[in-house]
Amino acid sequence: MKTDVKKYDCIVIGAGHAGCEAAYALSKLGKKTLLLSLSLEAVAFMACNPNIGGTSKGHLVCEIDALGGIMGLVADEATIQTRMLNLSNGPAVHSLRAQVDKNLYHRKMKLEMERTSNIDILEGEAKEILVEKVCKKEGSDTIGKVVGVVTDMGAIYEAKTVIISTGVYLQAKIITGENVRCTGPAGFKRSEGLTQNLLDLDLDIRRFKTGTPMRVLKSSIDIEKMEPQYGDLDMPTFSMLTKDEVRNDAVCYLTYTNLDTHKLIIDNLSRAPMYNGEICGTGARYCPSIEDKVMRFKDKKRHQIFVEPEGADTDEVYIQGLSTSLPYDIQEKMIKTVKGLENAKITRYGYAIEYDCINPLELLPSLEIKKYEGLFAAGQINGTSGYEEAAAQGLIAGLNASRKIDNLEPYIPTRSTSYIGVLIDDLVTKGTNEPYRMMTSRAEHRMALRQDNADFRLLEKGRELGLVDDARYEIFKERKREVQEIFEALKKRYKIAEVEKVFNEADASLPKNSISGEEVLRRSQLNLSHLIKIDPEFNKYNIKNLKYVETEIKYKGYLEKQAQAIKEASRLEALKLPQDIDYMKVDNLRIEARQKLNKVKPLTLAQAARISGVTPADITVLMLHFRKRQAENNAKKD
Amino acid sequence: MSTKDTIVAKATADAMAAIGIIRISGQNALSLAKEIFTSKEIKGDIEARRMYLGQVSTKNFKDKAFCVYYKAPHSYTGEDVIEFQAHGGKTLLDGIFRELVSKGARPAEPGEFTKRAYLNGKVDLASAEGICDMISADSEAEIMQAYRLMQGELSKTITASIEKLTEAVAGLEASLDYPEELEEDTRPESLLLIKEVKKDLEKTYASSKNRRYITDGINISLCGLTNVGKSSLMNAILNDDRAIVTDVAGTTRDVLKETFMIDGIKVNLVDTAGIRESSDNIEQIGIKKAKEAIKGADVILFVMDTSIEETDEEKALYNTLDKQKTIRVANKGDILKFPRNADILIEAETGKNIEKLMDLILEKINVKNITSKGTLTRERHIFAIQKAIEFLDNAIAVYDKTTIDCILIDLKGALRRLADITGEDVDESIVDKVFSKFCVGK
Repeated sequence: MKTDVKKYDCIVIGAGHAGCEAAYALSKLGKKTLLLSLSLEAVAFMACNPNIGGTSKGHLVCEIDALGGIMGLVADEATIQTRMLNLSNGPAVHSLRAQVDKNLYHRKMKLEMERTSNIDILEGEAKEILVEKVCKKEGSDTIGKVVGVVTDMGAIYEAKTVIISTGVYLQAKIITGENVRCTGPAGFKRSEGLTQNLLDLDLDIRRFKTGTPMRVLKSSIDIEKMEPQYGDLDMPTFSMLTKDEVRNDAVCYLTYTNLDTHKLIIDNLSRAPMYNGEICGTGARYCPSIEDKVMRFKDKKRHQIFVEPEGADTDEVYIQGLSTSLPYDIQEKMIKTVKGLENAKITRYGYAIEYDCINPLELLPSLEIKKYEGLFAAGQINGTSGYEEAAAQGLIAGLNASRKIDNLEPYIPTRSTSYIGVLIDDLVTKGTNEPYRMMTSRAEHRMALRQDNADFRLLEKGRELGLVDDARYEIFKERKREVQEIFEALKKRYKIAEVEKVFNEADASLPKNSISGEEVLRRSQLNLSHLIKIDPEFNKYNIKNLKYVETEIKYKGYLEKQAQAIKEASRLEALKLPQDIDYMKVDNLRIEARQKLNKVKPLTLAQAARISGVTPADITVLMLHFRKRQAENNAKKD
Repeated sequence: MSTKDTIVAKATADAMAAIGIIRISGQNALSLAKEIFTSKEIKGDIEARRMYLGQVSTKNFKDKAFCVYYKAPHSYTGEDVIEFQAHGGKTLLDGIFRELVSKGARPAEPGEFTKRAYLNGKVDLASAEGICDMISADSEAEIMQAYRLMQGELSKTITASIEKLTEAVAGLEASLDYPEELEEDTRPESLLLIKEVKKDLEKTYASSKNRRYITDGINISLCGLTNVGKSSLMNAILNDDRAIVTDVAGTTRDVLKETFMIDGIKVNLVDTAGIRESSDNIEQIGIKKAKEAIKGADVILFVMDTSIEETDEEKALYNTLDKQKTIRVANKGDILKFPRNADILIEAETGKNIEKLMDLILEKINVKNITSKGTLTRERHIFAIQKAIEFLDNAIAVYDKTTIDCILIDLKGALRRLADITGEDVDESIVDKVFSKFCVGK
């Protein structure tokens, strides 16, 4: 009966933000890919907030784009409002954030998946991942090798690699007060049985929790009582391929909870699943429910609420800040306490969602699961939260699945070149006890990892890896050329008479004889707009390139400091650790350190140093140990 | 080293004493104890943390002894530990020691008990270093210092600074990661914290000078023209006839160095050759060394012979000295014919006023500071703190002039240096602090 078993290079289980990005990377690398989704209506579904980007997440999207990924492009197409956060807080943290039309995003991404060659998109549920046992080698964690997937239809698909990107769908449970439903987000079917399969594969499975607020009809709220928030002008885009300006006409509104809201919550706390024991999953501090906020910050008299459109062709709006799992009747009362929302008509109630995920310490930095060759995991299944974090992992998992098939070394993004590197290193080195959210503060080389230089950091690498096509590469080459030209142009010197007026206006002291464009930009009171006033010739350059150069010049001192720190850190990064070592046998290491090192099996000494519970003294011991070991090996060779 | 071994050592010194202690640590500690120790008080198992009176049996003798069992991990090393308190004396303790070794215990290497405590996470690195310092200390102040380190006082001071700085950083980080959600302006509060930390660290750093006093001792140089009685003064201080004393000018041709204690503080006293233009080759070398000794001194005792008139040479020599460090000592005070401007009058030959001179020295180096708050003993700690202060200086200097992302580069640099001392994971604690202190997140 099952004679015509279909064969794939890779099967991606789940077509969410991680799955789509993984499939897209695989297709670019010429790998035949099956993209499975429980429902094709749920492809790239934005189950929670209607935005993409924001602090550190905007960075991730720019990086995905520089590596030839798809998220930025689709996000640009579906954008209805765009802003740059943190403009006053420094170039490292300038963060693009877009309000995105959710439905449009889903449709565009689905279409991309449908029409990309090499991708077969299929509605179906993966029931079992097929593995073959392999002989366990000394010191190695590998016990098997992935060979295929069985679906709920009973169909068997053979594959050289499999990527698990099931998001929050594994044994998902949705909780609104006393009401508990066994479904995925927004009523989509949940995944049954795959968890048991993963447990049978001896993987460490945990239960996490997240939540979402209610949606209401915009027509039922009083926008006059709230503060409107409009998009910013002259915004860059996530993707370098986006030629036109994005749509930017949607409006968000700001309002606040008040003491009445808080009293209502406190009075009904016994009916909150988080507080009455109904929920056992570990929630993230990053997206606290309103009941959490009220309980944890008792002296705060109000909490912000942002009202954001769910899309351009729907009247539904998202009530950011009121994430809750309180019962429906309390939600009805709660929303009516908020200024502007007194008559709000709820269309969907807020809920908490619990789901199964893998302990990321099961993963190699390539996102391959240590125990099974060819089996990868990406996205929320790895204990992260957020669309962008998921997509970033999807890209890397797809890339490395392809490289596995081609017998190539995996690509491990580093902490000093990308947020993607920080994200993955944090996950596989430290693990996480709650849904992990990317934050700029997690990047120790933040000043070097800006949105505006994502292409300079990653695009050449992406090209080398086969992810960056000619279209992107040509654009990048032109940008590089123009940036070079601007640096040259900045050497031009201006006489006092040429700069006097602009300098006086800006209250800047005049130069002795003449001043170069670069020196103008270096002055703290002066910026790009002053330079353009002095020399309108600069108007001919792309503003994005001009701003990039301005940042490079203005922050040169700090950039050099950061470069120095990266150089120092790279010494430990360069010290590779063997993978076939039993740390329990390393003398002089504290016992706790031995256990942690055995669990993580770090690739480099730098990664070892980042494991919590491994102290600087342990690292010194390790360094001495390996130096001795190397000397002994060398002696043997002689 | 294998942690599987069971080690044994005499915990008390080989001296005639009323009691002596033998300590065993490792997997077999308990079974070894059972082999050589019997007691009527033992009913079934030996209970942890109970002192049993019984009998130790060795090949050659039996003796009364106490035995205490510390069960892992609640022991000094974190392993099973047995302590025997037996009668003191080398022969007796050696006998028990040899008996245990013959039954399979391994003689411990120096510091191995502490090392095991460290490996098992019972003490942190700073504490382990402190314990080692204490064992090898040769002055009371040094022991106090090491004791404080062991008690984690350094860790405590640094941890407090890390805590404050983390809070400052978290406030700024929250404003970067949550520009919309964070409603409060965290910059002013963070600056206050940063300044506090800087002050605290500077205080700790200042004590690093005292630290040198404690581990290396205070350097005192005797200085003066030839034949003013420097060597006699040295002898008077040491109550010893170490230095050569004659009436021929220029007898002391080399630098003599002696170490002694004042109020538990180590003092290195250096007697220099009398300074004068000399044609004698050997003496010239001595004079050169003397000049170096004066350079490295914490206190200079400028000795004057008050039995003769003040010469231009004497004035000139005094003018070359660091006045802050110098005490003018008028010697041969029995002949007050040619009085000088002096801080103290002494008689080196009779030892008169030597005690007062000691007090003056202690006053000069501000000894109270040494014994009350000296916590930095290791170079790596001093270096880390020095670096952290530099980073904080940078951050404060540009605090109002630049953007937060830049300020944080220096602040986190400082934080990481401090974390090097205690081995803390600062990155995670910043994130923790952001969420415990601020209501951010969607």
